[in-house]
Amino acid sequence: MAEQLTPDHDPIVTRSYALYYLVAILLLVVSLFWALWDEAYGQRPWKKYQSVFQERYGAFLKSARSQSAQAEKEIQGDSEYRKLADAADAAEKQAAPAMKKINEQLKEVSARLLAVQNVFTDKRAWVNAKVYEIETDDSESGKKSKQRDLDKYKAQQFTVEFPDGSRKQFNFEQLEEEYTALREEKARLNADLGDLLKPVNEAKTKRDDYLKEHLVSLTPEQIAGLQKKTADWDNKIVQINVASANIVDRCESCHMGIREPVKLTPASMAVKGAKPDEYAHAFVSHPDEEILKIHDPDKFGCSPCHQGNGRATTSVTKGHGDYEHWLWPLFARQNTESGCQTCHAADMKLSLTTGNVGQVISEGKFLFRQRGCNGCHRYEGYDREPEDLLNVQQQIKQKEEEQQGNLRQAAMLTRQADNAPDNATANRLYAEAEALKVANSRIAGQIEQLDFHSRDLLRDLKKIGPDLKEARTKLNKNWIPVWLHKPTDFRPTTKMPNFRLNDEQIKAISAYLWQMALTDKLPAAPKGDTTRGKELFETRGCLGCHSIGEGSEMQGGDFAANLTRVGEKVNYDYLFRWIKNPRVRTRPYCPYEKKDIGPEDYAKHNLPYQIDFEHSTCPNDGHELQVEQMTVMPNLRLADDEVADIATYLMTQRQKDPASYPEAPFMDDPKLKAEGQKWVRHFGCAGCHEIAGFEDEGRIGTELTVEGSKPLERLDFALQTKKAEEGKEVITDKAIQARLPEGPAKADWYNHKGFFEHKLAMPNIYDQGMMKPETEKLRMPDPHLNKDQIQELVTFLLGSQETSLPASYQYKPEDWRRDVQEGWWIVRKYNCVGCHQFTPGQQTSWQNVRRFQDPDWKEQFPPKLLTEGARVDPEWLMRFLANPALSQADTHRNGVRPYLKIRMPTFFFSDTERRKLVRFFQALSQQPMPYTPERLPVLTAKETDMARSLFTSTAAPCLKCHATGDAAHDKIATAPNFLMAKDRLKPGWTERWITDPQSISPGTSMPSGLFRKDGDHYVFAGPTPSSFEGYDKDHRQLLVRYIFQLTPEEQRRVSSQAGRAPAGKKARNPAGSTPAGVQ
Amino acid sequence: MNKKTYVALLLVVGLMFVAGCGKKEAPPEQATAKPEAAAAPAAKIDPATVATVSGVAKFDGAAPKAQKIDMSQDPACKGTNETETVVVDNGNLENVFIYVKDGLGNYSFDVPKTPVKLDQQGCRYHPHVLGVMAGQTVQILNSDNTTHNIHPSPKDNREWNESQPPKGAALNKDFARQEVLIPVKCNQHPWMKMYIGVVKNPFFAVTGKDGKYELKGLPPGTYTIAAVHEKFGEQTQTVTVAAKDSKSQNFTFKAGAGGAGGQ
Repeated sequence: MAEQLTPDHDPIVTRSYALYYLVAILLLVVSLFWALWDEAYGQRPWKKYQSVFQERYGAFLKSARSQSAQAEKEIQGDSEYRKLADAADAAEKQAAPAMKKINEQLKEVSARLLAVQNVFTDKRAWVNAKVYEIETDDSESGKKSKQRDLDKYKAQQFTVEFPDGSRKQFNFEQLEEEYTALREEKARLNADLGDLLKPVNEAKTKRDDYLKEHLVSLTPEQIAGLQKKTADWDNKIVQINVASANIVDRCESCHMGIREPVKLTPASMAVKGAKPDEYAHAFVSHPDEEILKIHDPDKFGCSPCHQGNGRATTSVTKGHGDYEHWLWPLFARQNTESGCQTCHAADMKLSLTTGNVGQVISEGKFLFRQRGCNGCHRYEGYDREPEDLLNVQQQIKQKEEEQQGNLRQAAMLTRQADNAPDNATANRLYAEAEALKVANSRIAGQIEQLDFHSRDLLRDLKKIGPDLKEARTKLNKNWIPVWLHKPTDFRPTTKMPNFRLNDEQIKAISAYLWQMALTDKLPAAPKGDTTRGKELFETRGCLGCHSIGEGSEMQGGDFAANLTRVGEKVNYDYLFRWIKNPRVRTRPYCPYEKKDIGPEDYAKHNLPYQIDFEHSTCPNDGHELQVEQMTVMPNLRLADDEVADIATYLMTQRQKDPASYPEAPFMDDPKLKAEGQKWVRHFGCAGCHEIAGFEDEGRIGTELTVEGSKPLERLDFALQTKKAEEGKEVITDKAIQARLPEGPAKADWYNHKGFFEHKLAMPNIYDQGMMKPETEKLRMPDPHLNKDQIQELVTFLLGSQETSLPASYQYKPEDWRRDVQEGWWIVRKYNCVGCHQFTPGQQTSWQNVRRFQDPDWKEQFPPKLLTEGARVDPEWLMRFLANPALSQADTHRNGVRPYLKIRMPTFFFSDTERRKLVRFFQALSQQPMPYTPERLPVLTAKETDMARSLFTSTAAPCLKCHATGDAAHDKIATAPNFLMAKDRLKPGWTERWITDPQSISPGTSMPSGLFRKDGDHYVFAGPTPSSFEGYDKDHRQLLVRYIFQLTPEEQRRVSSQAGRAPAGKKARNPAGSTPAGVQ
Repeated sequence: MNKKTYVALLLVVGLMFVAGCGKKEAPPEQATAKPEAAAAPAAKIDPATVATVSGVAKFDGAAPKAQKIDMSQDPACKGTNETETVVVDNGNLENVFIYVKDGLGNYSFDVPKTPVKLDQQGCRYHPHVLGVMAGQTVQILNSDNTTHNIHPSPKDNREWNESQPPKGAALNKDFARQEVLIPVKCNQHPWMKMYIGVVKNPFFAVTGKDGKYELKGLPPGTYTIAAVHEKFGEQTQTVTVAAKDSKSQNFTFKAGAGGAGGQ
């Protein structure tokens, strides 16, 4: 081989790629390990959470266990516990000798049984086999011979060797008997043993129960169980999977403490001495146990309430859904209750018996209606009456058409029958025609019912703002443009929002309203007395809804207008009519003709001009008229002089002279009318007000039923988008900034929450910087809400979402709970809660009225309705709600409590609403409907005597406080008349009431402690009349029966016997003419 | 070359292990067992250093005349009875409740085991103003031959209303929370009214006919002393006492004040 020539720069010799390879390998290796690490930990941050949880929870349990053991020891030291423990020991000791004996017997019997059994089972098997052979043998002779074998076998003697060594011979039958006897003996002994052990076990259970009941936390054993569970925990994804609702929530993979049976707080889960970190916050238990009990996480999951991405496990941000591509991020803590709306959209009020969960969302729902938001924005479930009315009207039309069709069909059938070839066919056709006619009669009945229903709906239809057709009769002309300029300048707490109107718009709108208003003249009303008027205004009931005074002087309710300056705006004659009966209209409105009907229409038909619920059809066409003002304000049934006093007092409520308002001659300028109409339409005034020419006007705003799930891009942040994303605040006015629930923006607010909050704080914020003509500017007025109200409304709106949950998750109960649900809509519509307490702790308007701070005036509070459904007969309640005076003739009074100055007003409820209310009260107390009254046994003569003596004894001075119908006495009475009990009350409730009224209506004037328990029944606590000697029945029941059978004559008799001094003399009494509060 | 690669590989692997396993934390000590209440030990009063504050409640102006109460509606109500809202003798105001409202810091006080008595006699409460420590028993007696009911209407305590038969067994009640003054009334005899001052400390007194009061046993310090009258409301004064001091502090109520609810 020739020598090879090596090139100078042989790359194989001179160059090495090792470094590159090394780098590449290193990179590969690094990325491999990174991939492994990421797979095991990076993508599974919950593992870290779980191991931290194990450590911290373990440590927590350790200390909890020692505390629990300590507590256990303390309880075991209790004398009560010792007593129970001693009793258990004693019982055990007492049973011991007998137990020992039985156990010995058992042992012996068992041994004998075993001996017999050994022999017997063997023999029985042989016998059974033989019997089978006989049964299955085909030949008669074979059967016979086998039978012989069997008999022979049975006659044999078998030997049993007993454990004590003795032997005994048995044939088969004897053996069987012996076996059965021994078995029975054993069973009997076992039963005896059970009987013997029963008291021992009972005593032990009592002892252990006492321990459990008195141990606040879990027992050490229970905690030990938790410790073991925690220590043995293997890292894994914890998930709730509800296939039927498509819920997969893995939240508990990190939030491991959420369902633990101990209360975990951030502080208790923090590292000692350190502030609670992210882990500590993640490990807390659910803040509301009760709500979790009702909403079992295994059925409801987490995300249906809280939102977020329940499936995501790769990071906290992903899990919480706080990223661009997830449409349902976790609700902010302040808006947690948004989640309730997912299933509870049909509810007006959400609450639990304890705690205040549901308050924010309930207030949001209420505000939405109370502030008239639904005047412009449709929201499913709100303001249902107009929609229902339309629906009913359509149904009527449909039914009428059906009737027509039936008639035609019947006529045709009859014709066919007349010409039928045979009688059978003819009769069949006649019958069909008759059936159609009968069907028509049925339809007529349906139509009639629908008519009634539509009349009810017409009555239930309310507007949030006043009727502006009455502008001329009611208002100071020159006040109108001033008000429109900025309503809050005149009345800071008004419900009317501020519409940023310019001068031209104000002039045009005022002119339109003025010129379109009714020009009828009202009769001149008599004047009254200011001082009496003030007293009446503050005590008759006005303050249940209205407030008076500004700032710290304000008192009363916030449901209706603040009347501090009402004297500047109204005409006296109108105010008089309004207070006397706010439902009176100057002219009824005919929805059919679309016009206000006047005396001239009635005169044309020779009819008297009378309008009320009995005279509610149009004289021109017979259609149902709107005869009422569409206000929720009720009628206080005041006498004319009282009305005059209050009206006169209210006219003095002014800060400046009504005559000092600048003249507004433009309001009569006919040229402005068309312009005004345009703006009234533009701003949707008719959403809240009744306005001539706008009776059928639709809503101008966007529907909000599912506003919370509108894609973010469709919420128009306009020029504020960038700043919102950067987390910069765009509202500069400090006063408006203060309306933002969490103050000026600190972080990115380009989300639904940020949009709603800013929009509600300053509705034209998204117009800022835009150049728009007047007609294209954002129309939403400034509702001037405070930050709490905005938070409540935003919570409501955020929750207003389309849901992917199945319909069965919606809270739409069919039982008594539906009655509760429907009732709250009415209760809040008419502000029953302004005067009455429905749940303990609920505030009423009267609690802030100064006069009522005096303990004597507290007796003047309207009754609490905590157990109303259990208290009253529903039939009675129906009557009462229709006429709270309980009298046709004497209406200027309270039917049940004549001694209360505050008067239960007449609300003119429709039958539908009244029935719903009654059902609501019954349901709230979980009383079944229909109600079956208890029949009380008639009192014997002796029982009557006894009950009477108790009823009138000095120890039970019932008639001292209860009204009797005697005017002189009733002046100082502070409780209802007993004669009403029979129709009004339920006997069982009455019994509970006289036993402990304080637990039914805390704070009532009726004292507790009148009866005490004696064995299994109650006896009177005071000295008992002598006639009760030997009476061993319940004294309460006797008294209740007496009260329910009380006649007016009997009451007169006993009240005169009671020897009350005539109450005509001056008696110091809060309900009298000198109220104690202003001594 | 090969060797180097191995070394490098090993190094990388080693590093990864260090990174992966190095961060094992020691289990954290828990802060849960620590009871919160034991923040500061309760101070004890040294009886050798205690001071006294005393004084008189004065009334400035024309005292309204006591009015006779007509009790004829209940024949069992015997004797005469007059309104007790404003009782003035020689310019001294009776029935003013005086107590240490603030300044006692960390002192804690045992609740006396002996009950205070409230009697109903002649359809009238005795006394008209009663001081009691929070948690202390009020023993209510009925010396009348008629039924009364005792009905306090507190703001911050639990409300109750209990019937007591003629000369019936005593009722034992207590009030858990500090509240000055709780109005008490009998619904059956509307004129019957009295007030209970419930205080967390034992330093309270009710002025007598001579308008005098005395708060004894106060440890040295600066206190807010409040005088509360059912009609004229509350007045406060700041008093500083040194060890064994005896300070005087008077209160003057004016006729025009109050009425609209004091505080």
